[in-house]
Amino acid sequence: MSLSAAERDRYQRHLALAEVGAAGQERLKAARVLVIGAGGLGSPAAMYLAAAGVGTLGIVDCDRVELSNLQRQLLFASADVGRPKTDAACERLQQLNPEIAIEPHALELRAANVRAVIEDYAVILDGTDRLATRYLINDACVMLGKPLVSAAIHRFEGQVMTYFPGRGACYRCLYPQALEAAVANCAEAGVLGVLPGVLGAIQATEAIKLVTGLGEPLIGRLLTYDALEMSFHEFPVERRAACAVCGERPSITTLLDEDARCAVSLERVRRLAPGALREVLAAPSVVLVDVREPHEFETGRLKDSINIPIGDLPRRLEEIPRGALPIFLCRSGRRSLAACELALRAGIEAPGHLEGGLLAWAREIDPTLPLD
Amino acid sequence: MPFERKVTTAGARTVRIASPLRSYTGGAAKVGADGATLREVLADLDRRFPGIRFRMIDEQDAIRPHIRLYVETREVKSLSEPVGSRETVHIICALSGG
Repeated sequence: MSLSAAERDRYQRHLALAEVGAAGQERLKAARVLVIGAGGLGSPAAMYLAAAGVGTLGIVDCDRVELSNLQRQLLFASADVGRPKTDAACERLQQLNPEIAIEPHALELRAANVRAVIEDYAVILDGTDRLATRYLINDACVMLGKPLVSAAIHRFEGQVMTYFPGRGACYRCLYPQALEAAVANCAEAGVLGVLPGVLGAIQATEAIKLVTGLGEPLIGRLLTYDALEMSFHEFPVERRAACAVCGERPSITTLLDEDARCAVSLERVRRLAPGALREVLAAPSVVLVDVREPHEFETGRLKDSINIPIGDLPRRLEEIPRGALPIFLCRSGRRSLAACELALRAGIEAPGHLEGGLLAWAREIDPTLPLD
Repeated sequence: MPFERKVTTAGARTVRIASPLRSYTGGAAKVGADGATLREVLADLDRRFPGIRFRMIDEQDAIRPHIRLYVETREVKSLSEPVGSRETVHIICALSGG
């Protein structure tokens, strides 16, 4: 893809770099890069990529410009407040560089559309503000074999890492699971306006390196930045063989929204009918955990079961021996299923529960079992 | 002093606190804590800043999946990891902001 006279003039400072030169600039012109999230990170990233001459730049965002965005999102002007971000972003980027094509995607990225959106791009930048979307983008990039430059910010601190298929850790290797509730919310916590400028510019740098083949991308390296200390730190991140998406035996093989995935994780629960429970009772690794209240437990219980009321379970999970196969019991099967969910979140593999609870047990196996 | 760094010098080891956990340390990015292993350092950290350990370590003594702990640049997977007297423990937390 050769350069026009106007392009040779526009990109003269790149052409003057022997490492980039005409060949590198032509690669940029032929490249398709997707910026997900036209926010604090996406603004500077998209502007630098447009200026650098990335031939096709996709922008994904479903929001409208708000006045409070302008403190850091340099893509937008005061007159843009209220406009769809993709409209305002495309207009601004096209003004910056009319030689390139801008593709707006005014949509919320979900499992149902993520594949169609990213599959036509060669490099993906994640600048979103939701963890669930970060995992969705990561999973899609792993499955489609797309390089991903992922950055995130909080108050005065930022992080960035690059995933390259088959060559390093993915976002789930870095953080196997994260819930929004466990991680402070940026809108409430605040953010120094210039902070995403630093991280977004790093994302753009990584994308340009990936396209041109220059330098050493942040593959398997987490770079952190602290604006108050004005310090960068770099940490190695190993690919995890047990990673749920890029590991040797991935459990995530289809794209699902993260909120749905939490529900789906209950598929790992072993649901035992009373007859099936009776069959496995003799297994030495089985531990029966009755999650009813103590007074219910005193009235009637299964032999060798231990009592941990459901409310106490989060802080008493360690009473279940490591390596054991816990089977949770309750009156009707509702609390025991909730116990399984807690156990799964705590990393206990394949917990079981008695479907229909002890009521079903009394009905089908032992009518003499006294229940409240 | 307007530009004084918020560093607590008490304690032999330096711990760098992830941004989302600095509410526990009065905003300090670096604090001191005693201990020859990560388990001891985190226990001392929790004595100084009650509740901070539980944000990183779960009821089964496992590092939470949205947290990464490093001693210098060594990723820590076990709380028995030794921490040298001049070494820094880095607490890193998943961030969601964009």
